Amino acid sequence: MTVQADYSDATQASGEAIIELQDVDKFFGHFQALKDINMKVGLQEVVVVIGPSGGGKSTLIRCINRLEKHDNGRIVVDGIDLSDDVRNIQEVRRETGMVFQSFNLFPHLTVLDNVTLAPRQVRNMAKKEAEALAMQMLTRVKIPEQARKYPGQLSGGQQQRVAIARALAMQPKVMLFDEPTSALDPEMIKEVLDVMVELARGGMTMIVVTHEMSFARAVANRVVFMAEGEIVEVGTPEHFFTDPQETRTKLFLSQIL
Amino acid sequence: MTIETPVFEESVVEVEPARGPMDWVRKNLFNNWYNTVLTLAMAALFVWAALALARWLLGADFEIIRVNLRLFMIGRFPADQLWRPWVATFLIAILIGVVGGSLAATARDRAVEAGLPFTETTFRQVLSRFWPIIALVVVILAFTTTITPTLLTLLAAALGVGAYFLGRVLPRAVRRWTWGLALLLIVATYLALAGFGGLGWDDWGGLQLNLFLTVAGIMIAFPLGLLLALGRRSSLPVVRTISVTYIEFVRGVPLITLLLAGAFALGFLLPSDVRPGFVTRMLIAITLFEAAYIAEVVRGGLQAVPRGQVEAAQAVGLPTRTTMRLVVLPQALRATIPAMVGQFISLFKDTTLVSILGVTELLDATFIVNSQSDFLGQGLFVVTLAFAGLVFWVGSYTMSRESRRLEKRLGVGER
Repeated sequence: MTVQADYSDATQASGEAIIELQDVDKFFGHFQALKDINMKVGLQEVVVVIGPSGGGKSTLIRCINRLEKHDNGRIVVDGIDLSDDVRNIQEVRRETGMVFQSFNLFPHLTVLDNVTLAPRQVRNMAKKEAEALAMQMLTRVKIPEQARKYPGQLSGGQQQRVAIARALAMQPKVMLFDEPTSALDPEMIKEVLDVMVELARGGMTMIVVTHEMSFARAVANRVVFMAEGEIVEVGTPEHFFTDPQETRTKLFLSQIL
Repeated sequence: MTIETPVFEESVVEVEPARGPMDWVRKNLFNNWYNTVLTLAMAALFVWAALALARWLLGADFEIIRVNLRLFMIGRFPADQLWRPWVATFLIAILIGVVGGSLAATARDRAVEAGLPFTETTFRQVLSRFWPIIALVVVILAFTTTITPTLLTLLAAALGVGAYFLGRVLPRAVRRWTWGLALLLIVATYLALAGFGGLGWDDWGGLQLNLFLTVAGIMIAFPLGLLLALGRRSSLPVVRTISVTYIEFVRGVPLITLLLAGAFALGFLLPSDVRPGFVTRMLIAITLFEAAYIAEVVRGGLQAVPRGQVEAAQAVGLPTRTTMRLVVLPQALRATIPAMVGQFISLFKDTTLVSILGVTELLDATFIVNSQSDFLGQGLFVVTLAFAGLVFWVGSYTMSRESRRLEKRLGVGER
């Protein structure tokens, strides 16, 4: 892969930008969760977002698929400008997959039905076709044998991998991960990270909120450090390990590394 | 310095396993003086109650029930039309059998498909599941004076069992249309009871009327309540206001008020040629009342579904309606099963309230027979009330058991 851009700037993306945020603000009442965020993510780029809790990381990615509505600025995903138009929102959500900290699998559906639900309902896929696709995705996350079980019968790590398969089944162009390993027992973190690393190496565009610096070191093109709703520092993983500039960054890294 | 390993031997609590029932009794009922006193006192009370009940059962004269059994079952339905309720019974037996068999077959197919173990329901399991109803039928048949009702009941049971096995062997493609068959059977039941120049609902009475008001009330009030609950959460202010106003108004009024309104106000307001019959008006009142309560039960269930479920559905691009239908409602309704069945049980018992308007449902029938010249002033209320109580208890207890069964079965997918 050729490095074309200077990674120290959040507005720079390698190659063609697929996500673009311009002057984005987000308020919860009087509390400003996002302050004037400018950011671009390139096609096939992996961006890891780190920072203290309450710093706006989750809000940032939740704005990208409109689980939260931004108050000012522009968010463009794959050429679609996020507005109040329901069709635009639906279109963006079809292009972006999301993985949550608490899995949020549908407990009343089997693993297979969890994965086929959206392709059948949103893409109007036939049952057989959707199930074949789902099995393919479950194989990709290495749990095809669990297809007929219910989420409650699986371990945390398995559930999170099903959640990844569920998002992938919509064949999204971008995957958003909101602290995907924070709710997992330590011995299960690796199996989820392995799947994510493979996904990244396969060329998926990803924004990952995580504290797993090993993941950042393995596949991230850029690391974004956020605190108090602002982007404080941007750089390669190497930059963060060897030469962080800002005081807040150094303080945070000293706590997690 | 050496560190001594602490020894925890003393902390091991000696739990002596109980050996046999006598040992259990000694340990749990006679382990100290006040437990012994309590045990003896309760045993004395129990024996006294059992003896009193047995003496009453042996001594009581059940002639009043024997004579009036038909009134208790179907009210004042004319004797020459008796074939109608019997045909209806057969049709309902077939309906229950076919639907039950078809559901069992679907469950079996699903289990096989998923590679899960599936055990066939045995005859004993069916007995232990429905023993209260079977016992009640036996008790009722014991009060009949001719052999005909027993034979007809056995015929109905045979039809039901036959339909069950038919439902089980139906191929999948046909089974998909079972609901259509069920609908057809319901229409046929209605025609058998009220079609061909027969009588209308207004001539129904006794247990038949209680059952009809309960089943019809549930079937109409449930979808209505669901809509009201969704309306209460709607983002449209008009829909929300109407729903909230309706729910809060109806919940602020006793059921009797609504029944009286149905009987008199509705009858007074509407001209006689479009005015629905008396029982229809009662059904409307009951349905409107129940819908408000069901709406609140459903609302509780909707609130129990975590926010993350909706977000996950949105994130994969499901539209709002699909999210509600396939993700939120199935989980919400499952959470409401206990409260919902509680509501249905109280509806079953509340159907006795129509008696204050002079409709001869079961409870009312058990009262008025005490004014018959043969039984007047003999204090037979205790006999007739015990009979009505038994019938209502069997119905309520069965619903309660079925609810627990359903909860357990649906619990498979719990998080």
